[in-house]
Amino acid sequence: MKNKGKFAAILLSLTIMISGCSLTTKKDVSESPQPTEGTKVVDSNPVDIEVLGMSANEADLNIIRDQLGKNGFNVKLNIQADYSSYKAQQDAGNFDVSLSSWTTVTGNPDYAVRSLFKTGGDYSILSDSEIDALIDQAASQTPEEFAATYKDFEQKLVFDKAYIVPLYSSLKAQALNKDVLNPASVRLSKSRSLPWEELDFNDVSKRNKDALVLQSTMPTLTSLDPIKGNDGSINIINTNQYVRLVNLTDDDHITSVGSLSRNHAIAEGNSDYYFILRDDINFAQIKDKLAVDTGERVGADDVIFSLDRAKNKNSVPDHRTFTLHEHIKSAEVVTDLAALDAVKVSGGDSTVKAALEKGLDSKISELVSDKTQANNASGKYQVVKLTTTTPFPQVLNYLAHQSAGIVSKKQVEKINTYDVAKFDPNKDIPYGDQNTVTEGSAYNNTLYTSGPYILSYKNDYDAIFYKNPAYMKGTEHEPKINNIKIRFIKDADSSLSALRSGEIHLYYGVSETKFDIVKGDAKLSLQTLPSNAVSYLLFNTKNRPVAESADLRKAVLYSLNQDDFITYYGGNKFKATSTLSPMVNTGLELKADAAKAKEFLNAYKASK
Amino acid sequence: MTNPAITKQEINFRLKSASEYGQASFAGIVSLALALVFLLNSYSAAEGAFRPTVLAFSIGYFVFAGLQLAVWALIRSNLIRKGEITTATRSLGYVLLLSLLTANIFIAAVAFQLIKRKKTAAYTLAVYTLMTTILVFAVSALNLFKPYVSDTFLIGMVLLLLSAAVQFIALLLVAKFANGTLLPSWMWLVALLLIVTAVSGNLFALFLGLLLIGKLRDKGYTTGSKLNDIVDRLSRSSTSMLGLLFILFLLTVSVTSYLTFDYGMAIDNNYSAIFQPPSLEYPLGTDNFGRDLFSRIVFGARISLVVGLLSTLIPVLIGGALGAISGYYGRQTDNIIMRALDILYSIPGILLAIAIIAAFGASTTNLIIALSVGAIPTYARTMRANVMLVSTLEYVQAARAFGSGDMKILFKHIVPNSLAPMIVKSTLTIGTAVISTSSLSFLGLGVEPHIPEWGNILKLGSAYLETHSYTAIYPGLAIIGLVLSFNFLGDGLRDALDPKLD
Repeated sequence: MKNKGKFAAILLSLTIMISGCSLTTKKDVSESPQPTEGTKVVDSNPVDIEVLGMSANEADLNIIRDQLGKNGFNVKLNIQADYSSYKAQQDAGNFDVSLSSWTTVTGNPDYAVRSLFKTGGDYSILSDSEIDALIDQAASQTPEEFAATYKDFEQKLVFDKAYIVPLYSSLKAQALNKDVLNPASVRLSKSRSLPWEELDFNDVSKRNKDALVLQSTMPTLTSLDPIKGNDGSINIINTNQYVRLVNLTDDDHITSVGSLSRNHAIAEGNSDYYFILRDDINFAQIKDKLAVDTGERVGADDVIFSLDRAKNKNSVPDHRTFTLHEHIKSAEVVTDLAALDAVKVSGGDSTVKAALEKGLDSKISELVSDKTQANNASGKYQVVKLTTTTPFPQVLNYLAHQSAGIVSKKQVEKINTYDVAKFDPNKDIPYGDQNTVTEGSAYNNTLYTSGPYILSYKNDYDAIFYKNPAYMKGTEHEPKINNIKIRFIKDADSSLSALRSGEIHLYYGVSETKFDIVKGDAKLSLQTLPSNAVSYLLFNTKNRPVAESADLRKAVLYSLNQDDFITYYGGNKFKATSTLSPMVNTGLELKADAAKAKEFLNAYKASK
Repeated sequence: MTNPAITKQEINFRLKSASEYGQASFAGIVSLALALVFLLNSYSAAEGAFRPTVLAFSIGYFVFAGLQLAVWALIRSNLIRKGEITTATRSLGYVLLLSLLTANIFIAAVAFQLIKRKKTAAYTLAVYTLMTTILVFAVSALNLFKPYVSDTFLIGMVLLLLSAAVQFIALLLVAKFANGTLLPSWMWLVALLLIVTAVSGNLFALFLGLLLIGKLRDKGYTTGSKLNDIVDRLSRSSTSMLGLLFILFLLTVSVTSYLTFDYGMAIDNNYSAIFQPPSLEYPLGTDNFGRDLFSRIVFGARISLVVGLLSTLIPVLIGGALGAISGYYGRQTDNIIMRALDILYSIPGILLAIAIIAAFGASTTNLIIALSVGAIPTYARTMRANVMLVSTLEYVQAARAFGSGDMKILFKHIVPNSLAPMIVKSTLTIGTAVISTSSLSFLGLGVEPHIPEWGNILKLGSAYLETHSYTAIYPGLAIIGLVLSFNFLGDGLRDALDPKLD
């Protein structure tokens, strides 16, 4: 007994001795708080803050929680399962900050700020006249001029007023099965959706036999009328169903390549825009679930009709995209060839006519108003002139957006016979209603599409598309694969598994954390490109302390460290200062600063 | 010395009747399997080399597995030739005890049993008490390799050492005195000290303390207490004792982690340490936020145990009471209660839980309620059947003849004698509750995502199953281990408590 006691005592003292020598406790490593000069001592209780987000962004929310927690906040997470419940919480104002993300699909900076931050914008909860003025000022400027204006804007938005906290900008990433698909035919563009007409199999003999299988997460399509939706469920689909006047290149420049126009020109004064139309696209329709040529050409009357209804808020119920086109004043067909010769292009000496003729096989001999009369080979063309309300060169970016897709005047007028003011969703069936293409009793496919593909039918599992048989036939833009199928797979991990098992051929939107898996799979190829997507925290502007106190907002602003996000994503994210960052380099940078955060937080507490 | 006349049946009987024989083969095979697992793990294909620490572990396990199997062969020949295990073989148990250094509890547990010829319940308990504390101490000591430890680490470790010392002394004393019927009266002090050490969550110490006190108070008048019987029976099955050991180990770690572990390691992100492979600093590696997986699993045990125990205890109490009333009063009372519970029973448990959480939000309290409600009917049914059986027994009728009130008869005479099946059933269903907790967390319906709950950890890890598999394997193993332990314990308890064996 004595011996045992001795033994225990020796063991005990030994352990204490050994551990006592080298042991660092948490207290030793945590920095002692630095008293900041000039601020009076305030309570050290953490400040409550409610962060709203979606479960898909759980990782970001965790980093935000962690960083705010380390800077004197007590974070309450409000995590919603999907976008609609998240949006409902946001609309109800149940948040202090909400984790938001924005992708500038048009590739121009105006869109990145107008609907988000301008008073009355589609997605805006801000109301600040200084911000509004800067947005309008920049809109009328050329790229050389607007950089300075946008710098002022960012300074105000982020640093002076702290309405948002920028987090990072992302890569656009897609993975494809290179055993099946020809990787060279798969484009990845900064803003533009994937052009399906260029996709091709390695084995070209499969073009007519096999279906190409793509993936989407949302089986409920908002609307197949291009102006009635602007979200992930239909952006890619409508881009490929309706041709536009212009397109964006992979690096966001305006081009006529692969669009309805052969050329386009901006007239002096930046208010008039001219487009010379192709004559080799007909509308397609679905008969017996297969695509057929309607024989009706896509012409100037359809263009004018489409642009008119795009800018007119009351042209359809639930118009989701009119703000994108609010700068369009009018669109008209030009029949007087001399008028084209009379105007010069913006910033150049040549005439509009010369600019429109550039590279054409046959020069313009006659302008026709009837689309059936147009014959490009013999020099008979259709030209559309678009006028903006103010000089606004960025209008071309909006024209490249899917919402400016050209629909058939004849068909849409035939279907949309209801009175917009008295629209009854239970009775009236608008053009592009997703129920008309969903298998079942309501199936009645009335789509007329001007783009390379047309949706035949869909159900909860997949959607079947066929190529438009009369789309730029004989040119390099003629769709190569006859049949495209979209599989609806909600879960990202399942989608990746589907790609790896060969069930789908292309998976758009691979998460950064899965890059290693894709790279490790020999039959897959990963494409990445910096995108226009920016994640940021948006502060509530009503009924919350953050709405009143700029100090509190700035405390949050300086608490968040973008470097940590970038590290977490393995260097596959980039620093951002606002939603403009991917498009305009203003030179401003947000640096996390715990001392500043503490200072602002103390100022907030003192003012309470 | 060989006896050629001994028959095959006799050999079988001799081998079966010595528990050491079966235990030795079990421990040997398990250790061998573990050694193989470690060996496979120690080779990293990427570097084409062996990792020294894991390899050392593997070798250690191989050595002791070999020794254990050799001892097993010795025991076998002893039994066949002499009909008993010789003292020399038993003394080999001391060598096997060294396997504790490699954290091989299987061999150590068997070695303790081998050393002692005549095993008492108190001795078994004392062994497991000490082993639990040593394991907890060893696991907590891994924190020494961290850049820093929690402020209370030293206090915690000293307290653990002190209780280990008390329990070690108790083991020696029990080994010496427990065979005799009369214990010296200063054993009171030992018993009380043991109960004090049970504050760490080491319930073995509590049982041992109670057992000793029972013996002291009994003063040799009776053959032994009920607890003595149960422990005796339970300790015959080494799987259920190991199950109990793992459960109580987790319980003790959960309690002592308040002092010895730093919660910050488990929930604060560390962006400079993302996906560190297992090392001494991070024994189980780090997750995608650079949090220490080891600390997270230790803190996760707390939630899993609390939710598992509470969500079993609540339906046991509510369902038990309803079942008892229903079974005792019968007729309309029975009909009303049981039909109402039948309705509840017809709703799938996990769906009910999901519905409750969807309605009231995700939090630990709601999780417990959600899991409890669905389990009430099964307990009520079990209790009702037992009560109906017991209430026909003579002593109940005798109590009634003496004029006892209904409540007194029900709760004093009937319920205590109907409890055994309830205990068994609840032990078996705690495992299910633990799985349900983890499943719901995995679905995002449990606790908040950053809280280290095993299901949450597994969920994060499952996204990295291919690239960093350890982030999913370790929490998965923890869940498997805990559920298996409860199942083994339940099985053992069923045998130990079975009234038919009385």
